[in-house]
Amino acid sequence: MNTRLRILGSGLSAPGLPDIDALSAVLAGGELGEDKPGSGSISLLSPRERRRCPETVRLSMAAAEQACSAAGIDPAQPDAVFTSGMGDLAISDYMCRTLAETPELLSPMRFHNSVHNAAAGYWSIGAGVRGDVTALSGASDSLVTGLIEAASRVAADRRPVLLVIYDTIADGPMRAVWSARHPFACAFLLGVADDDEAAIVLHAEEGLRQDDCPPLTAALIERTADNPAARALHLLALALDGKHGPLRLAARQGPGLRIEPAT
Amino acid sequence: MKDLHIAAMTLTCAAGSGLDALRASLRDGASGLRRNDYPNCELDTWIGRVEGVENVILEGDLARFQCRNNQLAALALDQDGFRAQAAALLERHRPERIACIVGTSTAGISSTEQAFRELDEAGEFRPEHVMPWVHTPHTSAAYVAAALGLEGPVQTVSTACSSSAKVFATAARLIESGWADAAVVGGVDSLCLSVLYGFHSLELVSPDPCRPFDRARRGLNLGEAAGFAIVEPQPEASLGRLLGWGETSDAHHMASPHPEGAGAIAAMRQALERAGLAPGEIGYVNCHGTATPMNDRIETAALRTVFTDPPPASSTKAWTGHTLGAAGITETVFSLLSLSDGFLPASLNCEDPEPDAADFILREGRRQKVDAVMSNSFGFGGSNCTLIMGAA
Repeated sequence: MNTRLRILGSGLSAPGLPDIDALSAVLAGGELGEDKPGSGSISLLSPRERRRCPETVRLSMAAAEQACSAAGIDPAQPDAVFTSGMGDLAISDYMCRTLAETPELLSPMRFHNSVHNAAAGYWSIGAGVRGDVTALSGASDSLVTGLIEAASRVAADRRPVLLVIYDTIADGPMRAVWSARHPFACAFLLGVADDDEAAIVLHAEEGLRQDDCPPLTAALIERTADNPAARALHLLALALDGKHGPLRLAARQGPGLRIEPAT
Repeated sequence: MKDLHIAAMTLTCAAGSGLDALRASLRDGASGLRRNDYPNCELDTWIGRVEGVENVILEGDLARFQCRNNQLAALALDQDGFRAQAAALLERHRPERIACIVGTSTAGISSTEQAFRELDEAGEFRPEHVMPWVHTPHTSAAYVAAALGLEGPVQTVSTACSSSAKVFATAARLIESGWADAAVVGGVDSLCLSVLYGFHSLELVSPDPCRPFDRARRGLNLGEAAGFAIVEPQPEASLGRLLGWGETSDAHHMASPHPEGAGAIAAMRQALERAGLAPGEIGYVNCHGTATPMNDRIETAALRTVFTDPPPASSTKAWTGHTLGAAGITETVFSLLSLSDGFLPASLNCEDPEPDAADFILREGRRQKVDAVMSNSFGFGGSNCTLIMGAA
């Protein structure tokens, strides 16, 4: 099975990588810093909403907004797929601690922000999306899960889809099951590829148990090993130069993906 | 669009385990709600709890998935010969061509809650709680794929209370676009402190058995459920057809529905358009009907907008409680039963309906053959999904 897609725009939000230009600079040999991702770069939320919303929302919205703007597409238009292995780990930590100690004091706002589709919901509210905004998980396979979902939507509906991939870090006992030390979010606006356009082709590849991608700089490879969402750095590199491939992305369950540049 | 059939289905919830038990409960008006007896929870409310979930043990390779949500899923897979149906599906298609799409909102969080209650002196998880396949929203689809041996795309949909309605749309797209030949879809949500105290904090939990669409309704009851269905283009036998779906967003507020039900109206209209049906061709609507003051009022207005003269409709939540991430599959199964059995369930506990809903909300079960039915699921984050099913 395969699907041919066009990357219409992409976005990025991670420590030291506040946008795609920062990634270009690192790919060209620049230093990778660890400063916090620029949460000031979200224009779709009011200052009050930005203050109140969870960190996963700030992280993912920055990347999503960049991808739409790079594609020149009104963010309200495309259906969107948000994929995350763990959702909001800080809110899970708060919820479980409060329930263990003082359940009657649980904050109603933190509760409604604890749903896995909080980032998707705030995106719909901020960008004014009245179409579908879904929220998925594939645990550490979430990147592959999201790519297959987005590909099937573009193929079935024949219109662009915004794919947002994010995962944060555990700052508490959940570290025992999620060891990432750097949060990561990126986004792709994916569209139908006509035959004569530069594109990528996604192939289902069974039995793939380990990623196999062309080299990146050591600092970026460290990020791809740190946070499963950051394996998308390879696809961002491919979106930038049209050559970084083929990419083989493994999955623990279900098919992996082989992604090839196509002209 | 390919013609998609429901080749098999099953459901386990407070009102019964398996379709025969559920048919009897629906016919007899036997609610599964009971006074709250969930451990570590003092709230004065009623819940839809499934007997015996605690006693299920997941063995061998599946032990890594042990948690209340997956135990409930295992119970459900044991009903209605569903495991045999899945095995037969694996005879008809290669395992890597069968997708597994499961909706959940709670996932394994009751186990995460327990791990936090029992932290060691250093504030870390005790070794028995370090379960990476449990403490993730994805535990649900991952468990079902492993339990049934499915090797196609595996995906957990987690959009609060619309989760396990959306799985049907996802399966349809994967099949339509060629990424799968068939799919096992479903939904699983289990009782946990997060949702009990969470909905309590929002002042949405009723101290009485819930009364959808009744003027005296006081809120919802939480429930748990697991249900599954096989979606296939050309099955050997069919229980009904998936005719259409609508998926929309309110773009309004994280926890409150749009005041005019704009997203709900758009979801119902999108589903009708995809099904190629006029509103008058829908014979029954299974409502979201949570029994919160706001949901039922807005859903009534939305139904009045889409249908000038709404068809018979009911909420089945007074049988099951609000099963959140499993509400979509629960009510899809009830809707498919109404198609196959020609019996439309009542809106149990609705004695004095809201005036605007009095002419179409069913206060008693009704024998009536219908050809197409609609099921509504609306969730936090303004996520709406409407499904339309037709007779086989």
